[in-house]
Amino acid sequence: MKVNGFKLYAFCYLIFLYAPIILLPMFAFNDATVIAFPLTGFSTRWFEEMATQPTLHLAVKNSLFIAVTSAVLSTILGIFAARASTRYRFPFKAGIMGLIMLPLVLPEIIVAVSLLVVLLGLGVPLSLMTVILGHVLICTPFTIAILSSAFQSLDQSLEEAAYDLGETPASTFRLIILPLVMPGIISSLLISFTISLDEFIIAFFLAGTQPTLPVYIFSQFRFPQAVPVIMALGTILVCLSIVLLSIAEYFRRRGIARSGGKDTGGFL
Amino acid sequence: MSEGSFWARIRRTEGGSGLLLVAPPGLYAILLLAAPLGTILLYSFLTDGYLEIIRDFTLMNYSEAWTNELYRSVMVRSLAVSMAVTAITVLLAFPIAYFVSFHVEPSKKSLWLFLITIPFWTSYLIRVFLWKVILGYNGVVNSGLLGIGIIDEPLTFILYNVNSVVITLAHAYAPFAILPIFVALEKIDRSLLEAGQDLGESRFMTFLRVTLPLAMPGVVASILIVFIPTIGDYVTPQLVGGPEGRMIANLIQLQYLRLDNYPMGSAIAVSGMMLVVLTIFFGWAQARLFGAAFRWFNGTMPWVAAVAMAFLSIAANFGGVLLIASLLPGAVAGVLLILSWHIALLVMLKRGGGMA
Amino acid sequence: MTEKPTMIAFQDVHKYYGDYHALRGITATIRAGEFFSLLGPSGCGKTTLLRTIAGFEGIDRGVVMIDGKDMAGVPANKRPTNMVFQSYAIFPHMSVAENVGFGLRRAGLSKADLAARVGEALEMVGLKGYGARAAHALSGGQRQRVALARALILKPKVLLLDEPLSALDKKMREHMQVELIRLQRQVGITFILVTHDQEEALVMSDRIAVMFEGEIAQLADPETLYRRPNSRTVANFIGTMNFLPATVTSEMGGRIEIEAAGFGAMALEAAQAPGAVTGGEVSVGFRPETLTVLFDGQSAGDRESMATIEEVVYFGDMTYYDVRLDGTQSPVRISMRNVFGRPVLDIGTRTRVGWSPGAMVLFR
Repeated sequence: MKVNGFKLYAFCYLIFLYAPIILLPMFAFNDATVIAFPLTGFSTRWFEEMATQPTLHLAVKNSLFIAVTSAVLSTILGIFAARASTRYRFPFKAGIMGLIMLPLVLPEIIVAVSLLVVLLGLGVPLSLMTVILGHVLICTPFTIAILSSAFQSLDQSLEEAAYDLGETPASTFRLIILPLVMPGIISSLLISFTISLDEFIIAFFLAGTQPTLPVYIFSQFRFPQAVPVIMALGTILVCLSIVLLSIAEYFRRRGIARSGGKDTGGFL
Repeated sequence: MSEGSFWARIRRTEGGSGLLLVAPPGLYAILLLAAPLGTILLYSFLTDGYLEIIRDFTLMNYSEAWTNELYRSVMVRSLAVSMAVTAITVLLAFPIAYFVSFHVEPSKKSLWLFLITIPFWTSYLIRVFLWKVILGYNGVVNSGLLGIGIIDEPLTFILYNVNSVVITLAHAYAPFAILPIFVALEKIDRSLLEAGQDLGESRFMTFLRVTLPLAMPGVVASILIVFIPTIGDYVTPQLVGGPEGRMIANLIQLQYLRLDNYPMGSAIAVSGMMLVVLTIFFGWAQARLFGAAFRWFNGTMPWVAAVAMAFLSIAANFGGVLLIASLLPGAVAGVLLILSWHIALLVMLKRGGGMA
Repeated sequence: MTEKPTMIAFQDVHKYYGDYHALRGITATIRAGEFFSLLGPSGCGKTTLLRTIAGFEGIDRGVVMIDGKDMAGVPANKRPTNMVFQSYAIFPHMSVAENVGFGLRRAGLSKADLAARVGEALEMVGLKGYGARAAHALSGGQRQRVALARALILKPKVLLLDEPLSALDKKMREHMQVELIRLQRQVGITFILVTHDQEEALVMSDRIAVMFEGEIAQLADPETLYRRPNSRTVANFIGTMNFLPATVTSEMGGRIEIEAAGFGAMALEAAQAPGAVTGGEVSVGFRPETLTVLFDGQSAGDRESMATIEEVVYFGDMTYYDVRLDGTQSPVRISMRNVFGRPVLDIGTRTRVGWSPGAMVLFR
């Protein structure tokens, strides 16, 4: 009885969670220009129209560049921080780690304006690079969360065994630690890529005149006739995210299984 | 030899090697996060000139931010929206976290978590926009209700106001609220619950006296992780809020990008953050207070009274903070008043507990 | 028997963790080719001491020498020692053969030579033909053997074993004890075993260092350790020992005369006081199996005392009696083998107890 009540509630909740995403393909394949019910007919013309918009192409190119660069940089920083926090005790540890993890809860607009003020103050011109600076800042806490669990499940005697058998610290990292945390690294790359690709505020403030995908999408919302194309674009993005996240989840679980740990939950 | 002594030295000073390792991300965060945040704080005390910022120390920005009717109402609204979103999100999320942790087979838990987190990772902008579609004049809700015949004309109070902002944000932050609670529930040793029932408590009382207190750290984490970012959300109020749904972030954006008034924007940003810190502090004090009260009455107070007191306490706190926020010019006096009230109660309860 | 050369020498080794003094002046030598055990309760510093040999822990004062060379500044990967870890530390992403051959990566062997060496090592530990197995598909006992083969393949001068048997069940543990002894005789190198299990140490070792609170309390061969412990702490840690109060009445020319409660006057040799007793109030200790409960008509081996049986615990092959000797306050334990025809006595029985001064040890 009780369980059924919970289950019913859970399903209602999932419907609430998925409501917007279910609507997305409906309007993407609807042939009307107005985003409203009732649907008028099936069409793929909004998908075709995407090909004719050069700004969109530029935005996609920019966003991919930003996302790939941010993912790599934040994962590298994440490896340093996760390794330091899981393996060593050092002075001011709580303070330093707290600062690095702060963007996890700090409103993005605060990150955006504070960076804007400093960059303009230093005379740094706004560009894709300045967006990357901001994105690395907000992606790093997520990479640390993922990588920490990867490093945590690593038995320290594995490293010691490798030193003991004649390896140097560097070759031990390459031969033992890196292969064992590789699933975590891949999952961290994918997650930070996804976050950066979807990030709007920082790009909005720091991209200067360059469009990124979310900035482009936001600008298109002002033109009702442009919205169906955005729905089509959104459908593709949703599919892409689901694929990337599934891969990330697969690697995360494989990493845990490989090092003999117990699965305790999702991405956070 | 050199490699040997280097390694030996590294091994000997664990703190040194840890600092060395954490230096790249640490320096990055100091240079690109701590320093900019400090700059904002500094800017908030400077004066806006026409084309440049005048380096005169002033409190004018703050006095403007706290007395200007427009700014004040936006801040109060942001706080109210954020608290409402937090309350709704956490209350709705708890049963889900409980369901997944306690009623889902272990092998299927990951799948459920995956299902819950997927919507969170899909384009935020488009999700928010679709809520506009759902709640709009010709939207899903209205056409649905019209179709069934429950209403005669479309509802207008669900879009372009605070309601739509709350609904959309509650949707956006749902996974954020579920995960910390879920993690806390997962950590609970199941035999504790059996022990609770074995010692004669009903399932419900076991939940109240064992599960809920042990899940509290997760609840607190989810409150924080929802409350802090929502108060600074820009996209949702911009897209579905309408003129009466604007929040702090919109104001900050306006100051920075439209009016080019960096000191004013900084002062508003800092005020917003202060509001967050203040609210959290009051919430914390209230929780301590409630905890002390609960321990004091433990055993002698029926659970209905305890729960009622919890709600009263939370409501009083939210009310108190809202009151302060709406009377911002007199904020200092208000803060001191509420603070001293809290301290007095704490001291009293502590003594009461000691005597009991 | 000729004295073997020294393999490892500790000279006044100190180690601190912050304020905690983990090793408090360890001075000892371990000989080449011996099976040496570090025995003690958890937290006594035995694992720390082992890790200072391996090079995983630096020391704050003193000298650690391996084969005549000071190890200061020599990192773990340059020391002639290899270790079998408590968790075995089998690399989970490698096969058995890759694990065993790991240390030979830098030796520059041809593929065939490498395979031959790995095969040899696996055969030595009884895992012939397991090379292709994935590491995670092994049982606990097999993992242990892989860890042994991986450490021994480098032909170290010293093999370090950190509680290698603690993760195995009782049967497997006893089996591996015999295996390890056989292996040590076969390769002939120094084995240093860390264990908290006194029985394990007694069974396997040539010599044992008993450690308490960062110090070596006694270093001796198993028999000496058991028969002549130098302190009550060591005596209690290894097996069971009874204690009764006694007074030294005279000390002359290597003979100590005492008056012990329940036993009366007796003369002991100086060797029976390994803890260096000097006069006054002492206690006399003896193992449960050195006393005999005598039955009607049985004659005593050496001397006799009268006693009352207060508790009987029947173990099948053995019976434990708690008896109170006349003139003493608390009972002592006597263990008797249940040989055919010997009855089990009841609580309350008055009995004679046979004993010998030679089995006594004197403690401060």
